[in-house]
Amino acid sequence: MKKFLMLLLAMVLSVGVLAACSGDNSSDGDETAEGGSGDSGESTEGESDKPDTLKIWVNDDDKQVEAITKITDKYTEETGINIEMNRISMTDQVEKLDLDGPTGNGPDLFFQPHDRLGNLVVRGLAEPVDLGDAKDGFTDTAISAMTYDGDIWGAPAVIETYGLFYNKSMIDKAPETMDELMTIAEEQTSGGNYGFLAELNNFYFAYPFFAGPGGYVFGKEDGTYDVNDIGLDNEGAVEGAGNIQTFFTEGYIPKEVNPDIMNGLFNDGKAAVVMTGPWSRPGYEEALGDDLGAAPLPKANGERMQSFVGVKAWMLSSFSENKEWATDLMKFMTNEENAMTYYEMAGEIPPRTALLEDSAIVEDPITAAFAEQTNYGEPMPSVPAMQQVWEPAGNALQFLAQGDDPKAVMEETVQIIKDQIAASGQ
Amino acid sequence: MPQPSPATKDVKQKDHNVKLATILSLVFAGLGQIYNKRLLKGIIFIIIEAAFLITMLNFIIHGVWGFITLGEVKGEDHSIILLIEGLVSLIVIAFAVTLYVYNIIDAKRDARLLAQGERVPSVRKQIKDAYDAGFPYMMVGPGLIMLVFIVVLPLAFMISLAFTDYNLYNSPPRNLLSWVGFQNFVDLVSISIWKKSFLNVLSWTIVWTVVATTLQIALGLFLALLVNDERVKFKRTIRTFLILPWAVPAFVTILIFSAMFNDTFGAINKDILSQFGLMIPWLTDPTWSKVALIMIQTWLGFPFVFALFTGVLQSIPRDMYEAADVDGGTRLQKFRFITFPHIMFATAPLLIMQYAQNFNNFNIIYLFNEGGPAVRGQNAGGTDILISWVYKLTFDTNNYNMAAAITIIMGLVVSAFAFYQFRKTAAYKEEGEM
Repeated sequence: MKKFLMLLLAMVLSVGVLAACSGDNSSDGDETAEGGSGDSGESTEGESDKPDTLKIWVNDDDKQVEAITKITDKYTEETGINIEMNRISMTDQVEKLDLDGPTGNGPDLFFQPHDRLGNLVVRGLAEPVDLGDAKDGFTDTAISAMTYDGDIWGAPAVIETYGLFYNKSMIDKAPETMDELMTIAEEQTSGGNYGFLAELNNFYFAYPFFAGPGGYVFGKEDGTYDVNDIGLDNEGAVEGAGNIQTFFTEGYIPKEVNPDIMNGLFNDGKAAVVMTGPWSRPGYEEALGDDLGAAPLPKANGERMQSFVGVKAWMLSSFSENKEWATDLMKFMTNEENAMTYYEMAGEIPPRTALLEDSAIVEDPITAAFAEQTNYGEPMPSVPAMQQVWEPAGNALQFLAQGDDPKAVMEETVQIIKDQIAASGQ
Repeated sequence: MPQPSPATKDVKQKDHNVKLATILSLVFAGLGQIYNKRLLKGIIFIIIEAAFLITMLNFIIHGVWGFITLGEVKGEDHSIILLIEGLVSLIVIAFAVTLYVYNIIDAKRDARLLAQGERVPSVRKQIKDAYDAGFPYMMVGPGLIMLVFIVVLPLAFMISLAFTDYNLYNSPPRNLLSWVGFQNFVDLVSISIWKKSFLNVLSWTIVWTVVATTLQIALGLFLALLVNDERVKFKRTIRTFLILPWAVPAFVTILIFSAMFNDTFGAINKDILSQFGLMIPWLTDPTWSKVALIMIQTWLGFPFVFALFTGVLQSIPRDMYEAADVDGGTRLQKFRFITFPHIMFATAPLLIMQYAQNFNNFNIIYLFNEGGPAVRGQNAGGTDILISWVYKLTFDTNNYNMAAAITIIMGLVVSAFAFYQFRKTAAYKEEGEM
């Protein structure tokens, strides 16, 4: 007993020291929260005081980091503000911001696809920004993607969607209509060769097939989504589900298709048409060279099929202490000149009206095809409830592939999505 | 230490009041010790309590307030940070209370000794005694404190989350959390979507743990006995080969298996089973997926058991078998009454831990098929075990509170395994008094 208590005595001594430290930290935190003392006090005198450095989180991709480095170096030259860059994968940024933000170690700007927007807003991690006149340079699609609850939440840097890549040595021209696509799938699929491959077990890529005949994810009124109105089990969606099922049950597309399988077959010249995005281009060009062609999605019932459009944007952290300058930096990084630099170095399409008509983009047949498709697509819903859609919808596609009744599957899926939205605490 | 040593006084302290010493220490740590003429000890206690009150009181009051309310102003109070500060406060309070109680007991004991006429030892002797008794603890202490903050604090944080309403729509800094009691556990077994998923996942987790682990142990045992037979030549080479599945990183093995089991393109269907006109839906049918997983785990797990048993088999005295031969025992009897009990006696705790490991074997489930394939009408995949489901809940749908509640249930199961194992292991038996 005595030994035990002695031990505790030793512990308390050191805990006292430790806790004293943490106590200090917490009081620091309080001061900044109240805008009370020390460094943070200065910011109240004039918000636009130039900060020494701005911190940004860049997606973990060599080309992108290179491009952003070049752009931010220019910014430092012009304004004298140093830019501190951290490479953090886009998929990890939200969770990391949630942890680092409150402790003051977070960035001023971070880089996210717009479909995470609702999630960021609900958690209170992002701040709306005022783009001022700069807003007019962006395409309407990009601005509407970045709009949530009536505010704009970032400066669009990249717009991306998927379309068709085709192998010119296997077909003369890209299919213009759904029927042509079906014909290609029928005729070219045999003995390990495929006419048309797409990740139709992934809702992101399957969406055009639902949207064509009239399906939708969430009903939209005046630019806001109504999450109680889910259109994945209406007549159009069920018809689309039936079409998707045909691809699988007829053996046109293997059930367990995944990017590796699809890219492998296409690179080996065993698939005529694949549906994917510009991110697949480097690998395909290496494998097929001049035989590689690209086209927007085919038409169904006389209308281009709607793909999901994603906008990646610089967003402002709500923990940033230099919001005005951070906004200035995000405008600078996405202005016409720098968006072009970014396109040239990183190969991602800029969502600026003038640039989409720029010769550099129009004269590149592959980029032009995807740029064109962005006009027909619609932004992914950015409401947080969308997070509850991906997995059940993806599962529904698996059930369709196994030949389950489309109507029953889609109705069940919508019910699960509704349950999950309810269970997620909205 | 300027005071003259009281040890020179050769006076019986019959009138020394035990109660008074206790009450003095109760009022403020160290006063009783001063009264007992243990000045150094008293001063140390006084300094500790004073330092504690001056430095920590605000932090503790703030921490306890944060822990109870989880914040009161939206956007300004960050519930998660308040919760962690609250837990730190509670730990500090626990230390302080322990020390305070120790100081009272100490004062009472010293006073009693004085009242019985013991002499107060010299300061030097006091220091020496304290050092002798306390030295091991001074060595172990810092590490133990680190342990409290590295292990206990995160654990307490996780357990706390299970009793809050922390999910995507209710997350700091925008919103405040609040305590909801056992609501999450109630939801788990009452709300239909949770209930169905939870029961299915739990039953598969148990089946998976029992079947996969038993199979890998059985295979390991069988092979160990086979290779150990004196009629087998090239023992060393065979053993080396059998250890190989263990030598290749499991990560790599699982990913390769995942590709091999692919329904259309995988080698198993395409090159082997198609010869017999079979095409088994390994990745798209939940039952076959489970079969594939159990086979892969057996493959990954048997070498360890094999190596373990091979070692134990060497240590069984040969004369036992000779005695059995004299008595005319059959091979089966020898195995049943000599080999098997020996092996089990030596390795039972390790085998128990194998079960616990598979219970939480996230890698294989996630890497093989991400818990898939999907199952109609539930939000967990067909091969999801509890831990991979928790992962999905946390990172895909931000149901932090539910994830924490399920984690507690998993923790209880694994601790039951661990508890059983420690009970069996001599290493944890206390020696001496405590």
